[in-house]
Amino acid sequence: MSPSPCEQFERMLEEQPDGPLSAGATRHLESCGKCNALWIDLEAIRGAGAEWGSAEVEPPQYLWASLRRQLESEGLIRERPAKAGWLWVWFGAAPRWTVAAASVSLLVIAAFLAGYQHAGSKSATILPLHLSTSTASPRLIAADLGKTLDGDVKRVFDSLPESNPALANSLRENLGIIDDMIADCEKSVREEPDDTMARDYLYGAYEQKAVLLATATDRSASEGQ
Amino acid sequence: MARTRPTEVRELGEAEAIRRAQQGDAEAFERIYRLHNRRVYALCLRMVGNTAEAEDLTQEAFLQLFRKIGTFRGESAFSTWLHRLAVNVVLMRLRKKSLAETSLDEATEPDEESGGPRKDIGAPDLRLSGSVDRVNLERAVDQLPPGYRSIFVLHDVQGYEHNEIAVIMNCSIGNSKSQLHKARMRLRELLQEFERSRAREERQAAKGGSGGGH
Repeated sequence: MSPSPCEQFERMLEEQPDGPLSAGATRHLESCGKCNALWIDLEAIRGAGAEWGSAEVEPPQYLWASLRRQLESEGLIRERPAKAGWLWVWFGAAPRWTVAAASVSLLVIAAFLAGYQHAGSKSATILPLHLSTSTASPRLIAADLGKTLDGDVKRVFDSLPESNPALANSLRENLGIIDDMIADCEKSVREEPDDTMARDYLYGAYEQKAVLLATATDRSASEGQ
Repeated sequence: MARTRPTEVRELGEAEAIRRAQQGDAEAFERIYRLHNRRVYALCLRMVGNTAEAEDLTQEAFLQLFRKIGTFRGESAFSTWLHRLAVNVVLMRLRKKSLAETSLDEATEPDEESGGPRKDIGAPDLRLSGSVDRVNLERAVDQLPPGYRSIFVLHDVQGYEHNEIAVIMNCSIGNSKSQLHKARMRLRELLQEFERSRAREERQAAKGGSGGGH
């Protein structure tokens, strides 16, 4: 038994719910009030759906902060400091800056500075390894550490031997990199004061600066001897 | 020294953001989130009809995305992949909530219990007068079985094509079309029921009003 025109029409709708209607279906609609009503209703539903979809929906701002906290707690994300240069090469592989990383950085910076005066195999013997244990925990760094460090910078530069401008240049260049990082971290902390990760990064950046200055002081002292 | 990072983040393209996110870059994650959060949130909200739940589901969808982003190889469009994840997250939630569970497979062959299209039971057809009230539509969508609801929201509300829905819902294009038709038919029935109840309430109110006057 062949399907009725109404059954054929509904089957066509199932296969092509958005049309276009065939010539046969259009003819059927003209002669069948029931199918015509069905078609009009379905079009109305489709239109209402489209209208609903056109309304702008905005997720709340705090959703990202919440998601980010979750990602951090799972260790899925890490920060990428801007313009970190060679420091990022050393620390980029770590998920975040930590006190441990600061200890490693001491060796890197010390080796770098030592290399200016004692190139080659000698550099390995003059690393001020005792400083690796002197890196303070970020929690011990006071909020005004930045200002204190700025005072130290002047003192350290004053102590550098005039006979070694390369050392001063190297220190200036590396301080520039670290200051840039500090500025970025401070901006992040200002924007998200409750973000513990941002604060950790700031402490880490301060610590980098302290370590660099301590190393430069040691270098200067060893040359004076 | 000028800091250029914020500009770089804004200009980060999706492909680059995905590559960086696969390496755990926080800014790349945020970029991906900003690119897609509205659409995913809208999908969740329209599927569950509740803002708190939609927020929770959006977060869950992105969380799953970021957990799995290392496995994304670009065989399908990233947004399709993300929306597939989001739809699955929503469906999981809906099915947990629903006593009468209706999986997509079940929805493919609907029956009376799963909420599939029902035959008329004697009630006269009620035209929707060519227009559908948004509030009623949302109420009706809320009563659809999850499978139908997904297809309707994805196609008619969110504007996905059937070939995209086929990927997202892991079904054939023909199945997507057929499900959409059945979802609309069920919506029509629900909307007609709303109209009938409204008409009934109006009649009762009129009776009560006229009765009270004597």
